[in-house]
Amino acid sequence: MKRRKFIQTSTAAAVGTPIMLNGLSLNVLPTKGFFKKMNPLNDKCLVIIQMLGGNDGLNMVIPIDQYDNLANARPNIILPENSLLDLNGLTGLHPAMTGLKGLYDNARLTVVHSAGYPSQNRSHFRSTDIWTSASAANEFVSSGWLGRYFDTKFPGYPNGYPNVENKNPVALTMSSLVSETCQGSASNFSLALTNPFSLSALNQGEDSEPPNTPYGDELRFLRQAIDQTNAYNDVITGAAKHGKNMVSYPNTSLGNQLKNVALLLAGGLHTKVFVCSIGGFDTHANQVDVNDTKVGNHANLLRTLSDAIAAFQEDLFQLGLEERVLGMTFSEFGRQIKSNFSDGTDHGTAAPMFLFGKCVSAGFVGENPEISANVQVQEGVPMQNDFRNIYGSIMRDWFEVEEEDVRELLFEDFEYYQVVDPCSSPGKFAGQAPIEAFDLNVFPNPVIDNAEAVFESFDEDARITLVDGRGAELRVLMEGRLYAGTHRVPVEASRLPRGNYYVRVQLEGRQQTKLFVKI
Amino acid sequence: MDRRATLATLLGKSNKTNKSENQDFAPPASGLDPYTGSWGFENAAHLLRRATFGPTVEQVKQSVQDGLNATVAKLLEDLPMPSPPVNYYYTNDPYTEIGSSWVDKGYVQGDSNLGQIRTSRFRSLRAWTMEQILTEGVNCREKMTLFWHNHFVTANEGEPLYVWNYINTLRENSLGNIKELVKKVTIDAAMLRYLNGNQNRKNAPNENYARELLELFTIGKGPLVRFGDYTNYTEDDIKESAKVLTGWIARFSNMYNEYYTKITEFIPNYHDTSSKSLSYRFNYAQIDNADDEEYKILIDTIFKKRECARFICRKLYRWFVYYKITPDVEADVIEPMSQILHGNGYNVKPALEALFKSQHFHDILNVGPMIRNPFDFVFGPMKASYYSEGLPTDLYARYLQLYNLYTSKLKFNLMQMEYFNHPDVAGWKAYYQEPSFYRIWINSATLPPRRDVRKYLLYASTSRGVPIESERLDVLKLASRLDNPTDPNDLIDELTRLLMPQPISPGQKTYLKELLIPGLPDYEWSIEYGQYLGNPDDKDLKNSIEGKLRILLNGILEMPESYLS
Repeated sequence: MKRRKFIQTSTAAAVGTPIMLNGLSLNVLPTKGFFKKMNPLNDKCLVIIQMLGGNDGLNMVIPIDQYDNLANARPNIILPENSLLDLNGLTGLHPAMTGLKGLYDNARLTVVHSAGYPSQNRSHFRSTDIWTSASAANEFVSSGWLGRYFDTKFPGYPNGYPNVENKNPVALTMSSLVSETCQGSASNFSLALTNPFSLSALNQGEDSEPPNTPYGDELRFLRQAIDQTNAYNDVITGAAKHGKNMVSYPNTSLGNQLKNVALLLAGGLHTKVFVCSIGGFDTHANQVDVNDTKVGNHANLLRTLSDAIAAFQEDLFQLGLEERVLGMTFSEFGRQIKSNFSDGTDHGTAAPMFLFGKCVSAGFVGENPEISANVQVQEGVPMQNDFRNIYGSIMRDWFEVEEEDVRELLFEDFEYYQVVDPCSSPGKFAGQAPIEAFDLNVFPNPVIDNAEAVFESFDEDARITLVDGRGAELRVLMEGRLYAGTHRVPVEASRLPRGNYYVRVQLEGRQQTKLFVKI
Repeated sequence: MDRRATLATLLGKSNKTNKSENQDFAPPASGLDPYTGSWGFENAAHLLRRATFGPTVEQVKQSVQDGLNATVAKLLEDLPMPSPPVNYYYTNDPYTEIGSSWVDKGYVQGDSNLGQIRTSRFRSLRAWTMEQILTEGVNCREKMTLFWHNHFVTANEGEPLYVWNYINTLRENSLGNIKELVKKVTIDAAMLRYLNGNQNRKNAPNENYARELLELFTIGKGPLVRFGDYTNYTEDDIKESAKVLTGWIARFSNMYNEYYTKITEFIPNYHDTSSKSLSYRFNYAQIDNADDEEYKILIDTIFKKRECARFICRKLYRWFVYYKITPDVEADVIEPMSQILHGNGYNVKPALEALFKSQHFHDILNVGPMIRNPFDFVFGPMKASYYSEGLPTDLYARYLQLYNLYTSKLKFNLMQMEYFNHPDVAGWKAYYQEPSFYRIWINSATLPPRRDVRKYLLYASTSRGVPIESERLDVLKLASRLDNPTDPNDLIDELTRLLMPQPISPGQKTYLKELLIPGLPDYEWSIEYGQYLGNPDDKDLKNSIEGKLRILLNGILEMPESYLS
């Protein structure tokens, strides 16, 4: 299906308003050249923070308008309503996240609601593979989403790298294992770095041509790894020596990782991607302190995350580097809506992502998830935003990848969202949803046999699906081109088992889900 | 170039596309049929390098003499269990005197020294674990214990008695019956706590353990065929299995005033007594209430599936042979091996025996392509140099040295491989993460500690530069056990074929000889080594020979060829 895109954003005026002419939408996306002008050196980098273990998004970004139902579903762990850090009256942050609240207030934070993918896999390992490779749930892809992009930018890597034009490591993982996001077709583009000052040359003795066998193949890999560690040594330690940090960071693992990122950037390193991580989000038990749900394990994790990002952003500001850095968080899945008996939560479905930095389109992508009054066991938050759309939009806006190539690198049904703004206007922040919402209703609700999904569209392509409480796409209700106007799509529900379901309507650049109950 | 096609191949979809920068090699055509080729030093060394943490030159020679069958029999022989770890320094453990074992000693609730007692026991356990590896002999038990530790991951959970019970169970059953081992692990206290079995109760099932039991411990996850259906089992099977497993708890032993064996307990009130129904993936098996015996029925049901044997054989294959499982390997090795495993009721020995004796295992293409994990990398040269023979005999000094080796000197944490500290429940990534597998061990952060450990083992010194002989590799002993260390060419040949999987090039041998005797003719070494042999107490002679050997060994061990097995 070929789609035309238009921007849905409150800040679009700064870039170009979607123009409707005779019912036709004209695509007036900022061109590639536009971003080049903003940053002629193209020295932008992406800082990824992976939250390992499956983060309970509902305890991090709280839908205030769903509070009563949420409290009903997880009475033992719910945060007091008056403790939430209110962002816009509808959505609040965990009280430990004062740092990110500050970023939000300064238009440096985007909350991507309910990010995930269709038919969520609840295995840590498989789902991590999906998030790092950006494959579909039923597809096995062994390269990372950024690795594939780097394959197009740095052909032949690692043979012949570093070289005069590419002196810097392409990507750095700020821990001892390289990130799968940077796995390319031939090798991983990421070097692992724990201490930027401690590198020194490794010797490997006399060379000889390895035989053309599996043994020779691994030997060649080892030699290359040693060569590269040596070759990038000087540039990394040089940057570490020349760089400096302007603020003090919290003394946490993540704080130190981000501190090193800022240090290296300040010292002149031009690495495209930094991958940081923070572990411990697999909170099956004792997620909160039951005597005070504002504190406990998850609160500590969120504070660590929030404080580290806030220090990093302040450091970048003082170093004058804010316009070079975009940040993104993700976790392999969210957790179930209902809490368990162990004061924790089990593996679930979608969860929010954060984008941070001076250049984000601050505010929200999507809307609060809808929590039913009667949440079932195993029910997760349904996906609203396919994470590959966020990845793709970052590639397009931040790394200037042609949209056609984004489709090739990620997936054919890529939908562009404007997640990056020109970093120019400090007062741009409006605080409301930049992605235009639209009304979607299901009548009757609750449903006994048949219902209708009702919404309005332009003349545009649409895909309407029925999704169950665990996030599985049950069937496609309609797919094709719509006329402009109001639509009523039948939802045949007579044979569905009782429970909570969602209708998901995907239009061009927007989507919406609506909860209904089958009785 | 067609950019679209290029991008499509970059996606690396399916197993058809090769992810390596090099082309796919024709896999060894050999299967599980018995190996009938020649049996020399290289063959025996290959087997011992893979099935143990590394042989001495004498062990290799003995295996050559014994032959393949006898060597495999030795590797799989049931050894008596080692005597358990002892309290080696902590005088305030009221239950365990210095020199006696703590593994059957609980605590009294509220003991003021509890924290330090636990610390002392953990230290003792770590030191003891090191000792087991260094003194393993020609036997596969330690390698298999580590395999199961990586298969059934738990963390230490703060209680040394848990960890001891857990690792002792693995060691005791490491060459035994897998199905019975899974049953033991399922109600093991460390596991109950690690995967929340402890909190899995009738009215609020916690599915954490049930999920990993299926996904990681027994049958493995197949392709997602529809939502919640992973080919080998479904999400509902996880839910139902969790119900089967309700009722088991692990207590902290200090809740008792007495014996620790009550750590694991079945609480009937916590158990879901309803009938559980598995999906069509298990032929709709129904499991009726059987209280504390019920989990065994579930495990028996899972192990009836042939896929379970295949899944475990693939993991054994990646542990002992190579990471690439091509369709040919699947058909010619995994399939017959899994038949043996399944046909023998999941006794692991016959399957391992067939693997170790197979054409495939001894195929030259499988000699060398395994990147040594940090343990193999470090223990290989230590064992080759008879390290355990040089350890202090005094209990305190011996344990202290082993403990320091474990926690800091050998830098296992920086190289990303430690006992009782896995990255997560799936174990070390090198054994499952596509497409890099073993290559994950090697990167710019883990290479420098490999270098540092090598330097430490060869040149351990005090901060003032005084050599610490007892911590260094005994290069003189190593050389003395070779056939002809007096000839520099033979010396290099013998050392490299012991420590490296494949012959190195003549140019590399020349390079090594230059390290040993730079710019000198061969006979200079022969003369000097001969003089040393004639006057072993001459300090100057000994020092110069030893120094030369250290330089040579350092040169060998820093070659990337030494990173391979």
